[in-house]
This record gives sequence, structure tokens and C-alpha cells, in this order.
Amino acid sequence: MPQHELIALFRKKAEAVHAVVEVVAEWQGAFQRVVDLAGERGGGRITAPGLAPDRTEALGALCRERELDLVTENVREQGDGFILGLTAIDWGIAETGTLVLDAASEDLRLATMLPDIHAALLPARRIKAAAGDLRAEIEGMAGSPPGYLTFITGASRTADIERELTIGVHGPSELRIFIITGDNA
Amino acid sequence: MKERARTKKEYRKELEEALGSSFLRRTLDNFAAAYPASRAAALKGLDFDAMASEIAELRDEALPRLEELFDSFKDAAEKAGATVHRAKTAVEANEIIARIAREGGVTSIVKSKSMTAEETFLNDHLEAEGFRVTETDLGEWIIQLRGEGPSHMVMPAIHLSREEVARLFTEVTGTEQDPDDIEGLVRVARRELRAAFRDAEMGITGANFAVARTGTLGLVTNEGNARLATTLPRIHVALVGFEKLVPDMEAALRILTILPRSATGQAISSYVTWITGAVECRAATEGRKEQHIVFLDNGRLRLAGDPVFAQALRCIRCGACANVCPIYRLVGGHNFGHVYIGAIGLLLTLFYHDRERAAVLLENCLNCQACSKTCPAGIELPRLIQEARTAHLGMIDQKPIKNRLLSRVLLNRRLFHKLLRWASRLQKPVVRDGKIRYLPFLFNPRHRFRELPALAEKPLRDLWKGGKAAERKEGHRMRVGLFAGCLVDFVYPEQGEAFLRLLEGRDIHVDFPEEQTCCGLPARMMGEKETAGKVALHNVLAFDPDSYDWIVTLCASCGSYLKENIPLLIEEGAGIVEPPDELEERARRFAGKVIDFSSFMTNVLKVEPELFQADGKKAAYHAPCHLCRGLGKTREPRELLRTVGIEYVPVEDEEICCGFGGSWSIDFARMSAELLRLKLDRVEESGAGMVVTDCPGCVLQLRGGLLKRGSSVEAKHIAEAVADGLKNGEKPGPPAPDKD
Repeated sequence: MPQHELIALFRKKAEAVHAVVEVVAEWQGAFQRVVDLAGERGGGRITAPGLAPDRTEALGALCRERELDLVTENVREQGDGFILGLTAIDWGIAETGTLVLDAASEDLRLATMLPDIHAALLPARRIKAAAGDLRAEIEGMAGSPPGYLTFITGASRTADIERELTIGVHGPSELRIFIITGDNA
Repeated sequence: MKERARTKKEYRKELEEALGSSFLRRTLDNFAAAYPASRAAALKGLDFDAMASEIAELRDEALPRLEELFDSFKDAAEKAGATVHRAKTAVEANEIIARIAREGGVTSIVKSKSMTAEETFLNDHLEAEGFRVTETDLGEWIIQLRGEGPSHMVMPAIHLSREEVARLFTEVTGTEQDPDDIEGLVRVARRELRAAFRDAEMGITGANFAVARTGTLGLVTNEGNARLATTLPRIHVALVGFEKLVPDMEAALRILTILPRSATGQAISSYVTWITGAVECRAATEGRKEQHIVFLDNGRLRLAGDPVFAQALRCIRCGACANVCPIYRLVGGHNFGHVYIGAIGLLLTLFYHDRERAAVLLENCLNCQACSKTCPAGIELPRLIQEARTAHLGMIDQKPIKNRLLSRVLLNRRLFHKLLRWASRLQKPVVRDGKIRYLPFLFNPRHRFRELPALAEKPLRDLWKGGKAAERKEGHRMRVGLFAGCLVDFVYPEQGEAFLRLLEGRDIHVDFPEEQTCCGLPARMMGEKETAGKVALHNVLAFDPDSYDWIVTLCASCGSYLKENIPLLIEEGAGIVEPPDELEERARRFAGKVIDFSSFMTNVLKVEPELFQADGKKAAYHAPCHLCRGLGKTREPRELLRTVGIEYVPVEDEEICCGFGGSWSIDFARMSAELLRLKLDRVEESGAGMVVTDCPGCVLQLRGGLLKRGSSVEAKHIAEAVADGLKNGEKPGPPAPDKD
């Protein structure tokens, strides 16, 4: 499947489970959208563990402009007060709109669980059609212990009260996915 | 947990209470309507049957290797820093977990939903040991606060209304909660449970998969509570049934493809988490999680080697068998299971829990096969339930009197038929207009939901004793053996006569082997497998398969039972001393020739429309369970109606059981009455003047209910409806020789 079709399919499937998907050209653009979003939601603290140092720096600069507090490690100690968690996603599965993240790092894990908004940055070239296309990668991640591999599809949901679908019971109530198409992604 | 019924009398009371709960009924009705559509949407474009066979195969290959898979898992997981335990019993598992908690200096525990922990009553054990345990799945938390068990394996609190939840949360928070603000109620849970996650030193989960090659646990949730429970506390304990072991990730992913689709109609659940070993945890010493995995046997390893019941371990806990069960729809999971719910729950109660409870539950199956057709692991649930009834009879000292009587009578064909003829004569004083008026059990108002037919004055078999059917032996084009079944033979011979009318002038030899008797299904349903085996043999010997091109039956239940069960019973040698190989072969040939009426008319005779006066009568159709699922025939009866010019009016829920189920409708009369009411409401709404069906048992139920209602709608066997439309004097051409 050509890349634009993979992106289209991924988007359709992710949106079907209440994720909000945006396509951007570069990381910088995605960072800009993320800090804008956090600002719109009242600002405060965001967390973005596990990014490459130059990207952390770029994001940090944008956060300072917006007067956002950026936490990149020891997320547990900072409590529940995060407005947003940003993570770089390892793989996407188009047929279900699923994000695959190697979350062996505790900080990374918590960044996808504790905040109200999870901003997931997914390079377009890392989108595969089906889970089966990632079998080797998944087995590799699961098989290099200790490991914590996570599949995320849409926001946290429950239908436990009268079967009424309700979003955000334990994890984030908003999942924002930014697909990055540029060559440097 | 509330004490549950252990005698049939108590159980009936429990069921009748549930039938009277209007909220429960409404909720379950809505769910029963919504589930099939969302499941179908999630399975669109996928080959469900092929996927189910793959899951069955994958599990069947793993079951004999559980010890080997366990060793491999243990090796890999311990290399990754986990500690792997095995528990022989539920109590042992609970004790291991309590010990881990004590040694870890734990006071507070969070739990993610686990049916295996429900099975061992882990919370009760831990609380008795002084630990504070908080369920974190929303539904589980609600029922924990109420001191109840789950009523569904996937939606544990489906039996509760928003008002009940709001009242509960008002108590918990001390502030008034609005029942109509479900989002607000969910926020209460989020807030309260976040605090529990923060405080807990230990998180307990189950696992959907234990991947042997890598020592990886797979957890599937929508809420995300399992992720928090395995991340925030410094100790993680997973309680895992042995059957959850799969060889590799490929097998796990294969099950994952079907689990959420089958459970909730989702392509995938929100969170799927794969954990291998002692991952980073900043709350733990040296920054590594203390991970323990407790494998629970509790009878599984023995079950894995059982030639009959091992397939129960294929279950992936999706809950689909409850979702499509007409009985679950009426009464919910608290009354249709013990800890495990639905058809699989009836079985697992016998294996893991309470024999007395299991015995009453196991009787509450219609054998409608909705569950087995929906099971993503291809578990033959109704058959296993019949086997479990047999197994239970073997565990008790004395069989119930109805079992002893039934066996005694069925094993002697002459006695059985003599009794029926006597009864036909003796019933005269209590019969009016062909309906039974006064029978002792009819004094109980429970049984008055339908009129019961009288036995026929003359059974169908008498037509062949020098009677008007004798000349039927003259045909040459095709030889047909008629398997009447008890109802057509002794109650509704006119249905058999209608069939004969339809064969007139076709140069077909029709034979009625006099030695034929009951197909044996009632014995099988009562757990009398030996009797069923002997009766099967009797019928196989009564029909020489080589003498007939087809063995036609007007009863879908007999047809499906003869085709599927007879060869199996004879192969297994149930009740038969060393069946010779040629008998097995004969049974298979016999079964191969059995065909239902509609398929025979449509596919073999290819009846000609010009023989029928297409007067445009409107008919609703009721699909007998044993035709549409048992024999897999859905096209033929509808096509037959069209061919003969009857206007078929589709109605909702055509393939849902009418509530007959043989003696089930007497044992559970109130439930039978409800299923019949639902069915007849639909039929009457359709505006059709008649409802036709392919089974005399369904006719008995439908007609009985319609007469009781004083309805103008008539219930007919499809053979009668079709024969009624024959033009006078038209003769059919020679039969086409095509096979089914």
C-alpha cells in the first residue's frame, strides 16, 4: 500500500475511535501544534520524556515561549497535574489505527497514562498496514527483556454504566495523533 | 457473594425473580439487539469460521503441551527478572499471593479485572488477611462496592442501572451524584481510583496471554487500568490460568484479532499491553519492578487431557456465548452462571466450583446452538453441556426418577409405542378440540402459557399397515425412507400425510421402517448417553441405508441430531458393546442420507411452481434452531415458500429459539413462555396470516401459544402449508436425480 493510502487508512480508523489526527510536515510543526493545544487548555505542565536531545531542546524553546512547564524525566514524582503528555511513537498499524510504543521506560509509560491529553507523534514512514507486518518488530521488542510494549487505539474508554460509551475513565480522555510526513521524520 | 440456588426449586424462584425485573429485561433486550450488529460490523470482510477453526487448532495443539509451554515461559520470564509460581488449587493461589504481599510489606492493593481472580475468590482471601483491595475496572469497582459478583465476563455491572450506580457513588463520595450524568459518574471513579493507584504497593492483574517463548504477558483492556496497575505499584502479581499459555507472539496476535471483535464488536481494544519481566519501576528498590506470575491449575491440567471436555479450555473469555444466548437475555448472568457466565460458565461451574450449583444450571440449556455458532474458538458448547449432564449423573448416587423412566421406556421400542397408543385412548376424557384440557401438571398456572395437542387417534406408522400408504411402495424413480420422529408419528401424522401428498404422482417409493423409534435426542439432553447410543443403534439398524436414496425427516431436531450425533455416538460406542466397524460405516452412510423436508423439496425434487396455486398467502417464517444452525439450512425453506407462491414476510429474530427445547419448556415453563411471547409478538406484528416452520416441536410451541392468545394467525409445518397450495389434478414430472 502506498504511503498516502496508509496514512488515509490509519487516519480513518483512528478517527473512528475518537482520536484526533493531524498530518504535519515536520517535527517542529507538530511541536508547535502541541504547545498551542496545551496553551488553549489553560497551560501548566506538560511531559515529553524520551525524545532525542535536539528535539527536547526544540520543544523546550517553544514551551518557554508559551510559559509551559516541560518535564522530561521522573514523571512519577510530579504527580497528576499534567495537562498533556507527548511521546514519539515507534510504529503505527493502519488497519486498526493503532499506535505501537516500546514503553520499557517508566517515564514514557506514565506520559501516555497520567495526563488528560496524549499527543502521539508518529512518523508516516513507520505506518504499516497490519499487525502482521510488524510481527518481527513486536517479537523483537517483547523478546528483549525486560520490556513493556504498548498498543494504543483511541482514548481510554468504558461502557460499564448502562453500556453507554464514556471516554477517559483511567487514561487520557483525548488522544491527538500527529502524523509527520517529512523526510527527516 | 449472595448464596445461589442449589436445588431446581430454588433456581426456578431465582429465575422468576429475574424475569420480573423490568430494568434487567430492558437492558438485556437492548444488548441482545445491539450485539449481533456490532459483532457483524467488526467481522466484516473476515472469514469468521476459518478464524475460529484456527483458534481451535492453536489451542488444541497447545493443550497437550501445557507443561512444556509452562517450562519455556518460566525460563524466559525468570531470565527477565520475574518469579514464576504454580498453584494446584484456588486456595493455594490465593495463599501464594497473600504471602507475596506480606513479604513485600504491602498494605494496599489495586486490581485490574481478572476472571481467574474471581474464580479463586482472591479478594475475599486478601481482605480476610487484612489487605485493602480495590478493583479498578469501573464495572468491577461498582460490584465490589456492592459486594456482588460479575453478571457478565466483559461487562461485570451490566445488571445495574445508572440510578443504582449514582446512589452508590453518592454514598462513596458523600456528595449527591446525578444519575443522568454518566460522564460525571465516570469522573468520580477516575478521581477515587487514581488515589488508590497512588497508594497501592501491589497491582494484581490477570492475563489474556502468556507467551511461552518470551515469557511475555499480554493484557487487553479498554479503560487502561491494567496499565496503571502494572506501572505505579512496586509489585506486580499476575494470576494466570494454565490454558492462557500460547507458544509465541504469532499465536497471541491471532487470538487478539478475534477477541475484541467477538467481545465488544471492536476491531481492537484501546490498550493491549505486553509485559516481559521486571520492568523499570522507580518506586521499587534498585528501580526494578518485583514481578510475580502465578499459574493456576485448579483442575485445568487434568481437563486438558480429557477426551471430551478439553475443548472447554479453548475459551478466550470474550463472553459471546452469553451475548447470543436467549436464556441469558431473559435472566442475566447472576442467574445463568456462577462465577463464569454463559454457556461456558455452566461448564466451568462444574469443573471449578460447585457441583450442586452446576447441576441445576446445566439443565438450563435449550440446545439452540446460538452459542456454538458464535464461539470464536469453535467450542461445541451445547454438546459439552449434554456431556456434562452425563458426567454429573455419574457423580451422584441415584439418578433422578425421570431419567430412569425415560431410559426404561426408550430402550424398548414396542413398550414405548404401546404406551403412546394407550395414552391416545386414555386421554379421550381430557381432550377437547384436539387439545389437552386437564393434566395434573396443567393445574400449575406456570404451564398454562400454551395449549397442548392431544395424541393422534392413529399414528402415522399405521398408514403403512395395509392402509392408504401401502401403495407408496410402488415407485421406481427414487426410494425414500421416512423418519417420522415421535411428534410427527404420534401427534401430528397430518404433517407426514402432507408430505406424502406432495410426493404423489412422482413415481417415488416411500417406506416407513416400522422398527424406527425416537431419535434419542431427549435421552441425550437428559444426560442419558448410553440410552441415546442404544437408541441410535436401533434406528441405524431399522433403516438399511443402501435401500434408500434419501432418508427424509420433517423434524429439524431429529434431522440435525441424526446427522451429527448418531455417527458420533456409535463411533464412541456409547451404550454399545464393541460396535463392529461395519456398524460405524453403516451409521455414517445412514447419516449421509438424512435430509430435512425443505432441502429435499428444494434441492432434490426441485418442486415446480406450476403445480401450486400461487394465491399470495402471507407467511412469517420461524427458523428452527436445528435447521438454521444444526443443519445450516437457511436458503431452502424460504426458497420453497417463494416457489409455491406463498409470500414470505421476514420478521425480526427469525432465528431465535421459540422456547420449546423439549422437556426444557416443562422444567422452565415461565422462561419458555417468555421466549414464546417474544416470538409471537414479532409474528403478529408482521401482519402475516400464518407462521410456518420446519419442525413439529416448534409447531407445538407456536400453535399452542397462538391458540392460547386467541390469535387469528395459524402455525403450520411448512409441509402442510406447501401441500395446501397444490392444484388439483396437476401431476409433477419425473424427479430430478440431483443430490443435495
